[in-house]
Amino acid sequence: MMEKGKKGGRLLMNILHEAQEKHGYISEHMLKQISIDQGIPIARLYGVVKFYTMFHTEPQGRYVIEFCGSPSCVLNDGTRLEKFLEQELKAKVGATTKDGMFTLYKTSCIGCCDEAPAMLVNGEPHTRLTVEKLTALLQKLQAAQGGKKPQKK
Amino acid sequence: MILMQILRQTRMEALEKARAMGPDAVLALLEKKGLEGRGGAAFSTARKWRGCRDAPSDERFVVCNADEGEPGTFKDKFIIRHNAETMIEGMLIAAYVVGAKRCFIYLRGEYECLRPRLQQQIDDVLARARMDGVAVEIVRGAGAYVCGEATALLQSIQGFRGTAMYKPPNPTTCGLWGKPTVINNVETLACAAQAVLFDDWDPSLRLFSLSGNIKNPGVYEFPLGVKMSTIIDVARPARKLKAMSFGCFGGIMPVDEGMAVTPEAICIERCQHGTYSIILIDEGNNVVDVACSIAKFYAYESCGKCTPCREGTIRILNLLKKIRDGKGVKKDLQVLCELATHVQETALCGLGQTCGNHVLTSIQHFPEDYDYCLKKNRENIGEGKGKK
Repeated sequence: MMEKGKKGGRLLMNILHEAQEKHGYISEHMLKQISIDQGIPIARLYGVVKFYTMFHTEPQGRYVIEFCGSPSCVLNDGTRLEKFLEQELKAKVGATTKDGMFTLYKTSCIGCCDEAPAMLVNGEPHTRLTVEKLTALLQKLQAAQGGKKPQKK
Repeated sequence: MILMQILRQTRMEALEKARAMGPDAVLALLEKKGLEGRGGAAFSTARKWRGCRDAPSDERFVVCNADEGEPGTFKDKFIIRHNAETMIEGMLIAAYVVGAKRCFIYLRGEYECLRPRLQQQIDDVLARARMDGVAVEIVRGAGAYVCGEATALLQSIQGFRGTAMYKPPNPTTCGLWGKPTVINNVETLACAAQAVLFDDWDPSLRLFSLSGNIKNPGVYEFPLGVKMSTIIDVARPARKLKAMSFGCFGGIMPVDEGMAVTPEAICIERCQHGTYSIILIDEGNNVVDVACSIAKFYAYESCGKCTPCREGTIRILNLLKKIRDGKGVKKDLQVLCELATHVQETALCGLGQTCGNHVLTSIQHFPEDYDYCLKKNRENIGEGKGKK
């Protein structure tokens, strides 16, 4: 395969992560740029991006919530909390809220089984969740909307 | 006294000792101490390193597998958080022994919050190690469980989709960019540094990740052969325990307080110990629900390369859902068993080969839970709700 800087160069996974950090997703324009810089066909790049669940090719909510669906979280009331989140955000798993604030995903284990149920918000773990904790967190994040932007745009 | 062996720090002394001994003596020492891989396969670390060292090549690599995605497992996170320096030192010892210049830590995307500090610690250890031309890089994973599998992990580092590859060739002789590559788990590397330095290092101690319906979940250290009752004592379940699941892939078996936890004892119950992550389930739960959530996990995480796993995991999930929702019939169990066995026998990598364990073991050990779900269906039909 004709790929520039194949062995000595930077690793594609890290390049993609850094690209995504700029706007919360990897746009087609960015993919084209990476394709040119790295000498990798864009079709192959797209295949890689689509394989990994943490890479997104569409704009995401300001806060990406990844709710853990592993057995430990399910055993500790996780399913009920997930339903509660869906209700509260008025968005199904995989969708973004209308105001563009939150995108809700369900994920495999995030390694917080000892503090189940748990979820990641923009990569930060929130653990030992309860309805009260979730409500408070959502309120806090919504209130911070006017303030500093964490990741997007 | 230090409470856990895994937290003992080697403070660059292990690396110094290894350099003074020379690569061959280090290999002999690790062999004598009986260090085995802690990622689940329990392969001799010394043999793996020797295989890589002896493979003819101008270049070699060392990879630390920190892509611990197995549900119920969080011991590597614990080590990275509390004793990353020793793990990095273990990597440098591996690099010294096999003659590698470039090392990678494949950190799973879900552990992104650990990365800044880990990077600092890498820089710090490298500065103190004074190893000429050796670099350690973090590779950021992006949420694919299958990348914990060695060949898929290598694919991912090289910038491809993380799909499993056929073996042989083994990564030890033909890994990253076709060069000999050592891949070790976080715990293995930390243990390697400790085994080199400490004379009283105990090879029988294992980290257990306990979670589920218990009051004291967390990472604990027990020797192999520990009594199940001891584990239950520290775990403090609120109600009577009914079943335990070894991660997702290890299978579900009844809790037997008198059992000594050894690979053999677990094997007799047709389960696999893996990384000793135990999810404890109490009597308030139906095992079918747990099996269902595990099946969901597999259907979601299958990389899609081989047909048995790609299709089989989804069929297994659908059948389990059908049974759970009270729409199953007795014959579904038989189909489920046949399907699970078939997928296990024909799948390409470890993920597919183990994805039927929870089905087979739960049907074997908890037929009453399945009966309960099947009975629901019979009652429904009896009441005329389901016309058949």
